[in-house]
Amino acid sequence: MPKKLQLRIDGEMVSALEGQTILQAARNSGKYIPTLCYLDGLTPVGGCRLCMVEVSGIDRLVPACTTPIQDGMSVSTTSAKLTRYRKIMLELLFIERNHICAVCVSNGHCELQAMASQMGITNVRFSYNYPKLSVDQSHSRYVLDHNRCILCTRCVRVCAELEGAHVWEVTSRGIHARVQSDLNQKWGESRGCTNCGKCVQACPTGALAEKGWAVEEMIKRNDNITVLAHRKGAGA
Amino acid sequence: MHAALDERLQAGEQAFIDQVIAGRTAQPGALLSILEAVQNHNPHNYLPMESLRYIAAKADVPLSQIYSVATFYSFFNLHPQGDNTICICRGTACHTRGSRNLLQSLRLDLGLGTEDAEDTNEADKLLLTTSDNKFTVRTVACFGQCALAPVVEVNHRICGHVNERTLQREIRNLERESE
Ligand code: SF4
Ligand code: FES
Ligand code: FES
Repeated sequence: MPKKLQLRIDGEMVSALEGQTILQAARNSGKYIPTLCYLDGLTPVGGCRLCMVEVSGIDRLVPACTTPIQDGMSVSTTSAKLTRYRKIMLELLFIERNHICAVCVSNGHCELQAMASQMGITNVRFSYNYPKLSVDQSHSRYVLDHNRCILCTRCVRVCAELEGAHVWEVTSRGIHARVQSDLNQKWGESRGCTNCGKCVQACPTGALAEKGWAVEEMIKRNDNITVLAHRKGAGA
Repeated sequence: MHAALDERLQAGEQAFIDQVIAGRTAQPGALLSILEAVQNHNPHNYLPMESLRYIAAKADVPLSQIYSVATFYSFFNLHPQGDNTICICRGTACHTRGSRNLLQSLRLDLGLGTEDAEDTNEADKLLLTTSDNKFTVRTVACFGQCALAPVVEVNHRICGHVNERTLQREIRNLERESE
């Protein structure tokens, strides 16, 4: 049985189990920390940096989703500095791809959009530098629109960890990074794909969607993934 | 599935890969050294798709993961490389000492043109091979030899204080050697 540890989150004393992350401790005690790349049930990767929190005694900000708790730790989840940083992270996501919501299947049901409106982002202070990317329609049931992808790797992890197919990976680096299936083949040609659709449900934006939905119609159920993952005992 | 895979690989190559994998099983980071060995063994210094497929099946690594690793490291090539590799430094020190002109003139000399693909910009790493497969031109961000700027690496030999004339001479020597 893991040890019980005591820590403070926004001044309030909470107890959590050794080995849990700050994010898990916070959620279990009803505290909110914004996240995008994290999906309960999948291995956290600390990619989006939205969950940054302040820990007293540490100069730099730490990602709540990958930082394990320590006894006596004191965490703050909100501050002017954190808000500033989180906004910057979101704006940087927006400039990298064409996120024009008005023509997106996920408009109104998108985690990126929800996060931005929650933080009151009305404009982006950096210049857009997104390339014009392709849309992969080769799969019989799903589409991949690279222009909406935020490279959170939720699709990669759900496919590898829950479905065991590992069809997706991130290829290349920096501004050239893309999610790709198998040896950079068309999704429809992937031999490993089981058509399970878990990647679609896990995707926070309209990058992965089911075919046959119009603008605003794609509603995802990533809570099912969490339930499934916990049932399987996978993930941390 | 294996039978179909095997047909596209030459028997010798297949045996080589089998041997490489057998010598590295259960070693952490084995994939990197497998890819390195297979690339070095290739006469054109690259990783053909058939080889990647074969490695995936044999080493039991997902195709997507192999492709991800092979594209993350600029060391790996997915296309045949020229017999000679000229690598021009585009770091700050070399840039201020004229490496852009060196690159442009080399590209013109080798008939590679100076137009870049639409989705690349000057800061990106460049990799071009002549159609006769004699020369590959690439760029790096800094060799760490800034005192010698501008620096050009010719087949793994570092040349310092290069100008257009000395670079042309290097190319001519290489062309003569290959005749
Ligand atoms: S396709 Fe969706 S789930 Fe996959 S990396 Fe992009 S945004 Fe994330
Ligand atoms: S949720 Fe922690 S870094 Fe993305
Ligand atoms: S900038 Fe060219 S070697 Fe450092």
